[in-house]
Amino acid sequence: MILKRIKIIPVLFLLPSLLFLGVFVYIPLIQNFYNSFFDFSVFSQSKEFVGFKHFIELFNDKVIVIALINNIKYAVISVIFQVFFALVLASILEDRLFRKFAPALRVIYFIPVMVSISVIALLFSFIYNPQMGLLNSFLELIHLEELAKPWLGNAETAIYSVIAMSQWQSIGFITMLFIVAIQKIPKELYEAAEIDGAGKVRNFFSITVPQVKETMFVNVLITVTGSILVFNEPYILTNGGPGVSSMTLSVHMYQLGFFKDNMGYASAVATLIFMLSAIFAITQIRISGTGKDD
Amino acid sequence: MKKTYWLLFSLLVVGILLGACSNEDEAQGAEGDVVEIDFFHRWPNEPRKSFYDDKIKEFEAANPGVKINVDQVLNDSYKEKIRVLVSNDELPDIFTSWSDSFAENLVSSGRIMELNDILSDDTEWSGEVLESQFGGFTFDDVTYGVPFTVDGKAFFYNKEIFEKNNLEVPQTYEQFIKALDELQAAGYETPLVEGLTNTWAISHYLGTIFQRVVDPAVLEKDYAAKTGEFTDKGYVRGLEIWKELTSYMGDVSTAIDHEAARNMFAAGEIPVLYMQFAEVKMVQDASDFEFGFFNFPEVEGGKGDQKALTGAPEGWMLSKNAPPEAVEFLKFLTSAETAKEFTTVDGQLNAINGGVTEETSNPTSLEAYDIILNASATAPWFDNAVDINVADVFMRGGQDIATGVKTPEDVLQEVQEAAKKLH
Repeated sequence: MILKRIKIIPVLFLLPSLLFLGVFVYIPLIQNFYNSFFDFSVFSQSKEFVGFKHFIELFNDKVIVIALINNIKYAVISVIFQVFFALVLASILEDRLFRKFAPALRVIYFIPVMVSISVIALLFSFIYNPQMGLLNSFLELIHLEELAKPWLGNAETAIYSVIAMSQWQSIGFITMLFIVAIQKIPKELYEAAEIDGAGKVRNFFSITVPQVKETMFVNVLITVTGSILVFNEPYILTNGGPGVSSMTLSVHMYQLGFFKDNMGYASAVATLIFMLSAIFAITQIRISGTGKDD
Repeated sequence: MKKTYWLLFSLLVVGILLGACSNEDEAQGAEGDVVEIDFFHRWPNEPRKSFYDDKIKEFEAANPGVKINVDQVLNDSYKEKIRVLVSNDELPDIFTSWSDSFAENLVSSGRIMELNDILSDDTEWSGEVLESQFGGFTFDDVTYGVPFTVDGKAFFYNKEIFEKNNLEVPQTYEQFIKALDELQAAGYETPLVEGLTNTWAISHYLGTIFQRVVDPAVLEKDYAAKTGEFTDKGYVRGLEIWKELTSYMGDVSTAIDHEAARNMFAAGEIPVLYMQFAEVKMVQDASDFEFGFFNFPEVEGGKGDQKALTGAPEGWMLSKNAPPEAVEFLKFLTSAETAKEFTTVDGQLNAINGGVTEETSNPTSLEAYDIILNASATAPWFDNAVDINVADVFMRGGQDIATGVKTPEDVLQEVQEAAKKLH
């Protein structure tokens, strides 16, 4: 009787989370994979089996290439700003010189994280507005009128304008994670380095960076997978336009499915996105060898 | 101890289940003969939201025992939501729909009520609806929707600016370009503007241009998904016309939406803008000058009807499972009285006889109404007329032509590829 109880209770504890994960993550994932072999419309329930047609189509779709390049740009720029720049920012905030202002600055940097993305997109569409936008007015103010452009309406600047907004929003979050990591570094290390005559820059590279390696890895993972999945920012700001210049994989998928009513192909794109983020995550975990340090 | 917990737990579960059941019973019991109608429209914005809320109250007061559950979301979200709803049995009893391919898509679900008998049984009501507007809701001689609002697209022009610069209303495309050049010379850097971030605005232009330029027989063949090829030379010409027009719109247009463009027109900054008659009231409320309209000018050598008007009605549809009360509600929504009140409150023109009069509309709107009624032919909205996969390539290509990234030939080639996939 006792044995039986012991077996049943852990299962009961696991059951809710397993159920939720199953219903909301694993079953849809498998179903999506299954769907990508069919041609179907949301208007009707009938599905037509087409085999690998959608996956072959992926290779001939020019928009996929543009979207993929945009996602990569997103990832590279996000890693540079959100991981490296945020780390620098965090260590400056944790420096003794800033002890007085650090709490206030931390809050200021973190506020954008708490604001809804729709609100931020609206704000930035004012900033980028070609007629009365802050950015162009500012450029005019410092006599750089020739640099003013319709930022979101220009095929060359649209994607970078979208990426810039993301950096502004997310840097506070990553900085916060780094601050927590830096606070965990034993103070003795810095004291010893100081006695040895190390300066601030040397401290940063020789103590802070190696000590926060684990956090850095997690943050790279968050930003890179986030960049592959990015949807809200380009969807709200430009809807992938002008043309397809600021299209990302997720926006393309959404439009294929819900706008062009091409559910089967959209499922194939979703599978591609899943594969990409899975591959990135697995290689990163392999390369960094998380957990082996301890 | 454990046993007590289990007992309590089971009791709780049973209690919840019983509670749920009894709630349902109660709800059904209390309803008795109350019929619920699910009503879904696309105007969460004013003045229409209040208008329909009032109409619901009025109908409920006149028909005790009927309860109307209303839901509303804005344009693009509506398109997405109704597509999902129509794919299962959650389809609301009465809802709004555009005409032509949008309506045809909904009809293809097999869940839309056929209205032929209802229309012929009550000619007192259906006879008041303009016959000409039913076309976009009729497929294989079966009518699935009742048109309510009518619309058309025309160039709105600022009469004061035109007078000041001694400009005549252009009759041909050549004259139009000349007028734009003159306006530019007079200091209007962008004599024409459009919010190119709204791809539908591009589709309205392209639809009209193709209608003017391309042979109607070719259009009919190409607009059908199964036979579309888009190899006619007319399309290149059409996209070149688009390119020429965008050259007057300036850089700004690629980064703004149609609403911003309308505000620029209403502020008197822009002399000409391609708008829907549905926008007449909005422009009137925001501007302090007189404006007039002219149809898209004749294109020399164009093979289409040069006097046709682009524009299509919007109307109401019923679900196949809708109760008879929903039919009554439909008649109420499209009655002459409702129509009169609607146009007085909202300003948009309607398809009901006697719904648009001097009483309900000002002279500017009546002028627009005349243009709609007297158009030699009507062309549907382009994004409703062709398959969305093709329309999307045209619309995004339209943006690319405006930003100078692609040439008309590039875009047309992509269109041909997209069209081929639909065969």
